[in-house]
Amino acid sequence: MSQTMIKHEIPRKEFLSPGHLACPGCGGSIAMRTVLKGLGEDTMVVLPACCWSIIAGPWPQSSLKVPLYHTAFETGGAVASGIKAALEVRGNHETTVMAWAGDGGTFDIGLQALSGAAERNEDIIYCCYDNEAYMNTGVQRSSSTPAGAWTTTTPSDHPESHPKKDILSIIAAHRVPYAATASVAYPQDLLQKVRRAKSIRGTKFIHILSPCPPGWKHPDESTVDLARQAVQSRLFPLVEVENGQTWRFTMDHEGYPIAPYIKAQGRFRQLSNQQIEDIQQQINERWTVWENRVKYGT
Amino acid sequence: MKQTTRYGPPRVASSTTSTVANQTGSWKYIRPFYQDKIAPCNAACPVGIDIEAYIALIREGRWQGARELLLQENPLPAITGRVCDHPCEQACNRSQFDAAVSIHAVERVIGDMILQTPPARANSTSTHTIAVVGSGPAGLACAYHLVKLGHDVIVIEAAAEPGGMLRLGIPEFRLPRRILDQQIEWLEALGVCFRTNTELGTDIAWEDLSKFDAVFLATGAHSGRMIGIDEEDGPTFMSGLDFLKAVNVGQRPSIGREILVIGGGNTAIDCARTVLRLGADPLVVYRRTRNEMPAIEQEIREAESEGVRFQFLSAPVSVRHGESGTRGLNCIRMELGPVDASGRRRPVPVTGSEFTIASDTIIKAIGETSQLDYLPVALEREGTSLIVGGLGETNIHTVFAGGDMTEDTRSVAFALGAGKRGAIGIDRLLRPGRRQPDELAVEQLKFADGNVSMARWMSSDPVARAAPVNRVVSFDELNVNHFRHLARNEDRTTMMEENQGSFQEVNPGLTSEDAITEAGRCFNCGVCNGCELCLILCPDIAISRGTGEERFIIDMAHCKGCGICVEECPRGAMAMTREGL
Amino acid sequence: MNKVIVGNHAVSWGVKLARTEVISAYPITPQTQIVEELSDMCARGALNARFIKVESEHSAMAACIGASAAGVRTFTATSSQGLALMHELLHWAGLGRHPIVMANVNRAMGPGWNIWTDQNDSLSQRDTGWIQLYCETNQEVLDTTIQAFKLAEAVNIPVMIILDAFFLSHTSEPVDIPDQVTVDRFLAQRETSIKLDVADPHAFNALVRPDAYMEMRKDQQDWMRRAKTVYAEIETEWKALFGREYGKIEPYRTDDAELILVTSGTVTSTTRHVVDQMRERGTRVGLVKIKMFRPFPTDDIRRALSGAIKVAVLDRNISPGRSGIFAEEIRSALYNIPMDDRPKIFGYIVGLGGRDVTPAVIEDIVEQTQIATQPTREDLWVGVKP
Repeated sequence: MSQTMIKHEIPRKEFLSPGHLACPGCGGSIAMRTVLKGLGEDTMVVLPACCWSIIAGPWPQSSLKVPLYHTAFETGGAVASGIKAALEVRGNHETTVMAWAGDGGTFDIGLQALSGAAERNEDIIYCCYDNEAYMNTGVQRSSSTPAGAWTTTTPSDHPESHPKKDILSIIAAHRVPYAATASVAYPQDLLQKVRRAKSIRGTKFIHILSPCPPGWKHPDESTVDLARQAVQSRLFPLVEVENGQTWRFTMDHEGYPIAPYIKAQGRFRQLSNQQIEDIQQQINERWTVWENRVKYGT
Repeated sequence: MKQTTRYGPPRVASSTTSTVANQTGSWKYIRPFYQDKIAPCNAACPVGIDIEAYIALIREGRWQGARELLLQENPLPAITGRVCDHPCEQACNRSQFDAAVSIHAVERVIGDMILQTPPARANSTSTHTIAVVGSGPAGLACAYHLVKLGHDVIVIEAAAEPGGMLRLGIPEFRLPRRILDQQIEWLEALGVCFRTNTELGTDIAWEDLSKFDAVFLATGAHSGRMIGIDEEDGPTFMSGLDFLKAVNVGQRPSIGREILVIGGGNTAIDCARTVLRLGADPLVVYRRTRNEMPAIEQEIREAESEGVRFQFLSAPVSVRHGESGTRGLNCIRMELGPVDASGRRRPVPVTGSEFTIASDTIIKAIGETSQLDYLPVALEREGTSLIVGGLGETNIHTVFAGGDMTEDTRSVAFALGAGKRGAIGIDRLLRPGRRQPDELAVEQLKFADGNVSMARWMSSDPVARAAPVNRVVSFDELNVNHFRHLARNEDRTTMMEENQGSFQEVNPGLTSEDAITEAGRCFNCGVCNGCELCLILCPDIAISRGTGEERFIIDMAHCKGCGICVEECPRGAMAMTREGL
Repeated sequence: MNKVIVGNHAVSWGVKLARTEVISAYPITPQTQIVEELSDMCARGALNARFIKVESEHSAMAACIGASAAGVRTFTATSSQGLALMHELLHWAGLGRHPIVMANVNRAMGPGWNIWTDQNDSLSQRDTGWIQLYCETNQEVLDTTIQAFKLAEAVNIPVMIILDAFFLSHTSEPVDIPDQVTVDRFLAQRETSIKLDVADPHAFNALVRPDAYMEMRKDQQDWMRRAKTVYAEIETEWKALFGREYGKIEPYRTDDAELILVTSGTVTSTTRHVVDQMRERGTRVGLVKIKMFRPFPTDDIRRALSGAIKVAVLDRNISPGRSGIFAEEIRSALYNIPMDDRPKIFGYIVGLGGRDVTPAVIEDIVEQTQIATQPTREDLWVGVKP
């Protein structure tokens, strides 16, 4: 079989306007652009406080071509629940309601509302574009920040000491019908997951790794490359899980060394080779866990 | 019932416009642009074929376009698809990823398709007639291109049938006569005239050529080189080329049972495989190792699988006279010393390592030299080769030359390339209106440092048609993350047993479906193929599809200069520049 | 139809009759009965609403905001800590101009834990941009609930209906339940053009810069002021249909009163009884019940109180470091009237944390006020043990 060209797989229609206010090389913008292509125009977006509160444009602008509701930081899951209920009570069972939150709004302050929505199995899609810290406020650590990373609240002589929270497992434990990880480096994979999510009733969760040049301190042009390296190195495997039980890899993970990924980012500059080796070790151990999940569903 | 007064809508932060008006492009200090470069296959092709471009068309199933593109540069794709040693594939960037694209196999499929239908006769648009002397690949190519450029051409051939080395020097099992005959007929239909059984210097005098507006000499090299040992002109010795010629014209020379073939090039391998087919037992004696053999790797592999034996690191020293009258060769062991001018390690004799190999016939396949005796002494030469310029020009104004009689590498592909250069040289001479000689350096016609492009010569503005950056894209400039590993569609060679004693073509080639699949493996190095990855991955929706010549338009009002498009371009067809330049 | 129901269920009935479409709530004493009854109504199909059983009051309000933003009629109920947890989103609903209706059963704030009534929970939310309506009886609760939706949707400002813990919420009273057909004539399905709509997509609540924020605030303020007029219109309409009205404030026997007591909530009923008894004894005492706290009915208050010599405000709340909040508001409302018309304001702090405000307590307040020429302090604490 010849290599299918990506252009035949990504819809042409755009639901994001140029002139939005993302930083150059913003992974979160690629993520939104791709996701909306998968969802189409019959979509409403709930946007708790995050970088996208700015990217979407100040009043009276909107960079989205679908309805958008900006809301308070911790309310993504709840506001989306309310919108969906309102649509359904008036007989609209088709429109997709998507909450679009950063890692802060998902892993930290919004986790309760997300858990509530997931437990109630609200018919919404919850996307977390994960840039691994509070970037909009100027790079403070979140519970998504990986161990070893510099942020303005984990200075380089005392970098983040806790491992990144395993949000996917937390959501999967709610036995939602569909949860997945995705990366902006793999638009076809992301699109497929979005379409899958759209076709399923109940709570769908997509966790999208979205590198951030100013926050990760990498060159603007490396965004996609780093999002890819994270997958290739098995640091951020691309998986999907149905009903919290059936786990599946959606990509081959080459298992490339993690060192180039770490060294390409200024936020890890303080790490010694030994510390990088330790991270490699943790990835290797964690990979066994992933493999077992896929194999045995645990 | 009276409804309570309804007032106007509340003043809430509800959007009324998009972000398009924001000139976020003003943030950037560097900007991306599209910049096609040269694929390594194109630069490596001695013919000067735009390989990348025609492969791209085949992937899309656009056979007609691919045929036209290929035929613009190569008159004999059915033949090169079979016998070219395809340096394009050695240069192919994909070989550093999984395996090179099987370019020759794809070319052969198109070549065979082309032969299915005779071409329309070329329009004669010039008043000039050109004589091409010799109908080997160089002569055929030159004649072909000149006819297509609108000139009248007569090809003068000493042998009874046109084809030169293609007919005499390549065995049937690699290049069936049927294909060659069809190819000659095809060229005749296009308008190439052949005058066979006419040998320059014998049947026609040099002076007779003066009635032509220009002459292209391509008479090849036919005299076998000497090993440099005593008695090598004796009856047990044969030149490889003579042996192949004899078999190719239907003779079956009696050579005995045990045959030594001296040499490591394609002629040596062809000889050995031919010997095998005559029922004898060949042993190839080569002074370096298998790694240094100049023969096509695939031919060596096929020879091995057919049962050809090899004696590496050995060189002949003298003829051995056996007690019972049997003969053989005294040889000496060699070892590899320092690298020589050819880039290979020089073989050095190992003292006291002499040994003997018994043989009935010894075939010398160590190369040929040209015979230039029939040419006027005024024609400048060096040793046995004519001296020519970049477009085949000799020191005589209207005389051009190419192929094995010049210093060029001896292969079908190089000969075809030389023929094309000669045609352009002659066209430039006879039709200066096409382009003033000084106006266009030959360099600008070339694919990087490769051969010239007829497409660029034919173009009204070759400089503009030339890639903006006339340099080869290296593997490191690609982003191979966007490619998946895909197995190469290997040639399907027939089983060894079936080849014994048969001159049937060994390689049946690919199907057209396979060819499309194989074309799909091409990276399109350095050339935008419209994959749209740049457009898809742009965080700022600043790239859109163009309508005309331009494939993509970058909206500089919104491009923030992040460079993701350039970084992610799978084929290195974009670049960044400082804003304002 | 007459039914004897508790105040909480009066809310539920009002919500049902208003054909509320999305309800989102979290349990908290003493509000819980409201949503229990609504759950039951939804489950039985008596009310065709989506009930979102959220994991917190914060999410309850968030879900209401979402539903309201999508253009439907929404309701929630809470108390005390729950209301406090909602605080951020009360602002969001207010300035986002979402006509959500919420019942707050007044309950004292902890710690220590206290489930009994006082007004500190709702009054803490004074500046969040909600209309606040304090109710006295179960009938008023029911009527006000239905009116609240009409009011909220007319001015695009959320409305909080407030009822006292236990004294109303858990006390049964006979209530006339309006028939659905008539209620439907009074209150149509919510329709709005300002909503999330895929056919007319807009972004709501984006970053608003200093050049536009004040205008949004001013618009909110203008509509808050208009709400007083609109509420009067709604009451007129309601009265025509059901024969009942309550007023933003209700002056009672104030015509020649030298001393006017000011109350809100259930203390009003007790005070009304005390006023009647004292009037029989010839005391020139009157009563003003304040129902609408936000927007504050300044003009009505001025008209009602400007003739009196003394005013005693009974505050079941305290602004720590200041005084009773109603007293403060009234002082402020009367400051700019002519000096001669200004009564002396006595601010009494009563009934915090559910402590009974008995007729004796109120009589005592009347006597103290009559004796005093000036209040000794702005917060006069009643019945506090040493």
